[in-house]
Amino acid sequence: MPTENLSDKRMSKFKNKGKEPTKMRDRRIAECVELRKAHKVEGIMKRRNISSVGDEEPLSPEYNTDNKQVISEAIQEIVANVNNECPEKQRQGCQAARKLLSRERNPPLKEIVEAGLLTRFVEFLGRNDDPTLQFEAAWSLTNVASGTSWHTQQVVEHGAVPAFIALLASPMLNISEQAVWALGNIAGDGPSYRDALIDCGVIPALLARLTPDAPVGYLRNLTWTLSNLCRNKNPFPRFSAVQQMLPSIIQLLHHSDKSILSDACWAISYLTDGPNERIDVVIKTGVLPRLVELLGFEELAVVTPALRSIGNIVSGSDLQTQAAIDAGVLSALPLLMRHPKSSVQKEAAWAVSNIAAGPCQQIQQLITCGLLAPLVDLLRNGDFKTQREAVWAVTNYTSGGTVDQVVHLVKCGALEAILNLLQAKDAKTVLVILDAINNIFLAAEKLGEVDKLCLLVEEVGGLDRIEFLQNHENNAVYRAAQALIEKYFSEVAGYRCT
Amino acid sequence: MFVTDIRKEFYDVVVNQRVALFVSPDIDALCACKVLQALFHCDQVQYTLVPVAGWQDLGTAFMEHKEQYQYFVLINCGANVDLLETLQPEEDSVFFICDTHRPVDVVNVYNDTQIKLLIKQDDDLGVPSYDDIFRDDEEDEEGDGDDSGNESDGSAEPSGKRRRYDEDALERRIERQRARREWEARRREILFDYEQYEFHGTSAALVMFELAWVMSKDTKDMLWWSVIGVTDQWVHDKIPHMKYVTDIATLQRHVSRHNHRNEDEENSLSIDCMRITFEYDLRLVLYQHWSLYESICNSCYTSCSFKLWSINGQKKLQEFLADMGLPLKQVRQKFNSMDMSIKENLREVIEESANKFSMKDIRVQTFAVNFGFKNRFLASDVVHAAAALLENVEKDEMPTDNFIKALDCLSRSNLERLHLGIDLAKKKLKAIQQTVASCICTNLILSQGPFLYCHLLEGTPDVKLFSKPLALTLLCKYLLKFSCVCVFCFIRSFFGRAFEKAAESTSSRTLHDHFDTSVIELKMEDRGKFLDALITLLS
Repeated sequence: MPTENLSDKRMSKFKNKGKEPTKMRDRRIAECVELRKAHKVEGIMKRRNISSVGDEEPLSPEYNTDNKQVISEAIQEIVANVNNECPEKQRQGCQAARKLLSRERNPPLKEIVEAGLLTRFVEFLGRNDDPTLQFEAAWSLTNVASGTSWHTQQVVEHGAVPAFIALLASPMLNISEQAVWALGNIAGDGPSYRDALIDCGVIPALLARLTPDAPVGYLRNLTWTLSNLCRNKNPFPRFSAVQQMLPSIIQLLHHSDKSILSDACWAISYLTDGPNERIDVVIKTGVLPRLVELLGFEELAVVTPALRSIGNIVSGSDLQTQAAIDAGVLSALPLLMRHPKSSVQKEAAWAVSNIAAGPCQQIQQLITCGLLAPLVDLLRNGDFKTQREAVWAVTNYTSGGTVDQVVHLVKCGALEAILNLLQAKDAKTVLVILDAINNIFLAAEKLGEVDKLCLLVEEVGGLDRIEFLQNHENNAVYRAAQALIEKYFSEVAGYRCT
Repeated sequence: MFVTDIRKEFYDVVVNQRVALFVSPDIDALCACKVLQALFHCDQVQYTLVPVAGWQDLGTAFMEHKEQYQYFVLINCGANVDLLETLQPEEDSVFFICDTHRPVDVVNVYNDTQIKLLIKQDDDLGVPSYDDIFRDDEEDEEGDGDDSGNESDGSAEPSGKRRRYDEDALERRIERQRARREWEARRREILFDYEQYEFHGTSAALVMFELAWVMSKDTKDMLWWSVIGVTDQWVHDKIPHMKYVTDIATLQRHVSRHNHRNEDEENSLSIDCMRITFEYDLRLVLYQHWSLYESICNSCYTSCSFKLWSINGQKKLQEFLADMGLPLKQVRQKFNSMDMSIKENLREVIEESANKFSMKDIRVQTFAVNFGFKNRFLASDVVHAAAALLENVEKDEMPTDNFIKALDCLSRSNLERLHLGIDLAKKKLKAIQQTVASCICTNLILSQGPFLYCHLLEGTPDVKLFSKPLALTLLCKYLLKFSCVCVFCFIRSFFGRAFEKAAESTSSRTLHDHFDTSVIELKMEDRGKFLDALITLLS
């Protein structure tokens, strides 16, 4: 039965298999829209028969408040209540505002700001005599600050920062927690508000609340806010601030709660995403073994930032990379390269590519720890982004490795795999591959085995692909391909250079 | 979407257009094609006819014609997969699908713009309602935008800002997610139930004939083709007997209408007249073109009842012939040459004896056609002849040539070809008979628990013949009847899905190219693991 050669063909014809995913997605979207349209019309017809809109969703308080008129009336009432002298009315108004701001869809952030309510809300933050009012105001401001930069700016410019920092010390845990949250939103806006908060002494105030008896929910918010204080470049948070926070972050990195672990890991990844001296500060805390341990966790939310941190660290100096290797990174990576999630595979391949860029001793350790087999697997079967990282790994390896190491890599099947990838559409990737091929030929030259290599390349169909690249629209690709052909293949029987 | 007014929504649309006509290789499709061709000739519609043997062919044919054509008519293919997903057509391509394959893919049912299903609504379709399988996702997607949306995956960087939701809002969201998950689980269940079994609906030829009829353009030829189409479904076990009887009744009304119309015409019995008659005739294949003896030996119904592969069966056959009181010499010679006196009440004689041999259903409602005085064919004769021409493996001819020949043999101007087809059909039926006998005698039919399994060894005579789906279907029908198992599982078959699943789970190298998903090609080496998976799946 001629099934085998047919099966590929049929894959591309039958059902969805073999279709380009993007095309499929487009089609699906289009179809959904079509179906949805048909459905909508039907829905509209149905709705027309219904006179009272109220029956639709009687339980949802959101429903009535979706039109502008209703909202503006509600806000007017809030303004009246909030500006009333009666504490009961104030609480009522503030709570109504908070509810509006907490609804899932279309919270009226802008309307609340424009109604001039923020001044009063910030005032209420200082009302230690009325914790309920404080809480409602803090929640409202948190949600306003969660909007765009403009929204956050409104909150900051109304003087909320010192008030929130003061509230961190509130004896009422829910109020303090809300302040932590609000400050997190402000810090998350970008480097300038982050540094403004640091200047106001937010770090010691936050760390003071980091006690062993703090509830998990509270600690989650706290960790997230700390991670936001580590976040963003241009500029980085200043060293002194980082030094202040690091011990606590390391401490949180040993917590058992996954969400806390995740945010603490992200904090480390932000701190390591920079020049070598930034990485050094983190390594000196001795966090590496714990990070490697976290690489083995099951939760993607932990593994992803841990792997990002490790990837950042091995992109540093050779010494820093060695520190990561010494902490056992190489025994964790093979599993991650075979992770079911392609985003993890890609990050793992990226880390490997950076280690492969090191001195040949480190390359030797890649071999010893068995990373070549999974690497070749990724070249063959990874998604394109992963393959691109894996290609980089090969190029780095072949440019820094010894002749023996290069020979070993070829024996593992890497050459055939990258030759297959020459069909990639991305010119940059193709160039990187041609570079690797060139490196491999240089090694063969040293061994005097160029002919053997030529034969191998030709056997696996690589020569055809390289020849084909001479027609590539990208100049650099075409020249690199031509150089390879001229240098190594011009003497092959029957072949004439054009 | 289902077309409700086939004339307005289909015929009037294509009548001034160029049409690409894709036809599956089965007899019902050929007949539907003949009806449509006749209509197109009558209205001078330009069309291109392309035979498509499977999904690959369909894809290629579409690629080749999509530039020049906007309207595509698919006969007996296309309904049971998501066609837009399969063919990826431009937005202005429109597909008219007249297909008996069930279940109809739900996306085809609910696409209003490009897919027009020419399928009778009174069929037992059981399509899930729109709301059960499609859902407006906007609400849920919007709500997930902020912080928790990414958490489901966990691989994205956390957001820099987070809004705090109302407790109720949170609860509502959780509630909605729960409802959504429930809805999805229900959807899977509904779709599973819907897609689990495959079967066939009303004959495409009959659907096309009714189109001609509502336009008052129906002719006797068209009516005969639709008779053959329905008979094909019965011969190849695509529909249950009840469905056959119902459709035959419909056809009978049309037949009497046509006969009535011609009654007063003077030339009602001229040399080139065509007369269709309703018959309660014998379930003996090709008996009027063979010898009675050969026909009894090679008919599924009789050879299975007698168990003719055994000596005992042969004895029974002799007893049966003796019981009828027919001289062996007469029985063994060509039916045409039999004594008129014997032929006169032959059907009654056979029925009487058959009853004694517990073959109570030896007669069946069917139709016959007379071309002039000399040529008389039963509908099933034509089905066998056309199928044999369509799947002719004797010469290495192109499938397209076979297709055209089979199509030609349906024209009354081409009786010679029909006779060639009958000769081929005889060979084919004999081959089936011999293969079945040898399978049984060498114990090749194995019970695998939930299903029977029979493996024809490479090198078995005629194995090439059974590489064709219709011949294979017929062989399976015989095998099943011989094994004394009811054949109904064939009519509603779960094999299609099961084959797909088994192939997927074992990564067997299979080719699911046939429009009938219960016919697949499988690489020999993968047979073991595939069967193991199938047994597990079905038990």
